[in-house]
Amino acid sequence: MINHHPKFELIQAFVNGDLPASLSAGVAIHADMCPVCQQTIAQFTEQVAETSFEEEYLDRFIVDDNEALAAVAAINFDHMIEDIVGSSDISIALPKVEKTISFNDKTYTIPAALSSMELGKHAHIGKLTRARIQLNENEIHTSLLHIQPGGGVPEHTHKGFELTVLLAGSFHDESGEYVKGDFIMLDSSHQHHPISTNGCLCYTVANDALHFTQGINKLLNPIGSFIY
Amino acid sequence: MQTNLLSRPTSAKYTSMSDKINHPQLCQWLESVASSRDKEAFTHLFQFFAPKILRIARGKFPNEAQANEVVQDTMSNVWRKAHLFNQDKGAATTWVYTVMRNVTFDMLRKIQGNKEDNLSDDIWPMAEKMSSEAEVFDDHLEHANLLSVIEELPQNQQDVVKGFYFREMSQEQLAVHLNLPLGTVKSRLRLALGKLKVQLGEQHD
Repeated sequence: MINHHPKFELIQAFVNGDLPASLSAGVAIHADMCPVCQQTIAQFTEQVAETSFEEEYLDRFIVDDNEALAAVAAINFDHMIEDIVGSSDISIALPKVEKTISFNDKTYTIPAALSSMELGKHAHIGKLTRARIQLNENEIHTSLLHIQPGGGVPEHTHKGFELTVLLAGSFHDESGEYVKGDFIMLDSSHQHHPISTNGCLCYTVANDALHFTQGINKLLNPIGSFIY
Repeated sequence: MQTNLLSRPTSAKYTSMSDKINHPQLCQWLESVASSRDKEAFTHLFQFFAPKILRIARGKFPNEAQANEVVQDTMSNVWRKAHLFNQDKGAATTWVYTVMRNVTFDMLRKIQGNKEDNLSDDIWPMAEKMSSEAEVFDDHLEHANLLSVIEELPQNQQDVVKGFYFREMSQEQLAVHLNLPLGTVKSRLRLALGKLKVQLGEQHD
């Protein structure tokens, strides 16, 4: 049973198209597995759409009608219509091809939201395997992270945020057990030490290197940026 | 008398216009485009949506040419993808909104991230979905939705919330448009969000 969902503000930003691709995909993957959030998203989309295209509402924000009319007249609508209807192209919805990825002899289906994204080579460290997703979002790093049974990430905090969406398997940390579909957003106030007893595959997004906090693991800090 | 003449100089033509959207009509036009490539129906759709899309795009793209491109691309997709619209699954406005949102998302990514990977249709697949789970949650309380919750807010908070979330204006822009001090906009938004969170329950804590 999924217990962790995106906050309402995040869903709003998702619907408005304001989140970076990495986080948008995270919400989409979660919603694909979570009928409750799917429903929230559908309803919110309907309302935003209705409000966006409501005449009276838009008019309330027009300070100067003349300015608005001038702005609208700046494009030649008739010309645009001719141009569009002159095209006989019809978009055919292509059947979705399922893509898969293997980690240590286990094969997983790649979530549909990620199907056009470019995956980097696998990098291994201990029981962790990471495949970077190439999204070009500067300081935001997105990856698929696979943890073999018994593996974990040493106790750490985050300098920015860290989103984990559990795609398969389970893991636990100080706050409890996480299952497939959980959407776990942590910030710098959280410190945790996730362990996966039976192995798992996660979609992770972090906007800065994680920071190990305990004992000898502090020596690992240079690899913090490797994992996420 | 004179003050009457001075107030609301040019808005007379709008006040007579109903703010309700004629959804069945929009659906019918979309269906005609889908089934018979009806150019006249498309022209009606264009006249309804294009000016609004342009205004919205202006808020996201300071560059005029880019805002125009959003209109062009969105309406082209409406023309080319109309057959993917399914009125059993949602309103025409919702469908056009998702088309516009996707076009905008891909364009912003192209400009900011220099990536032409067009991810939006994977993130928001529009052929399927759209309230496909509606039957599962056919509960009128669930449908006592966000908009109605927002509409219970005092008018001054409604204006701020709608402007901020639906029109995506910044708090600074809102302060100018609503002719209020920035601090007032911020505190109204905060108050309204507090109420919305309580109303909408805690499932998304």
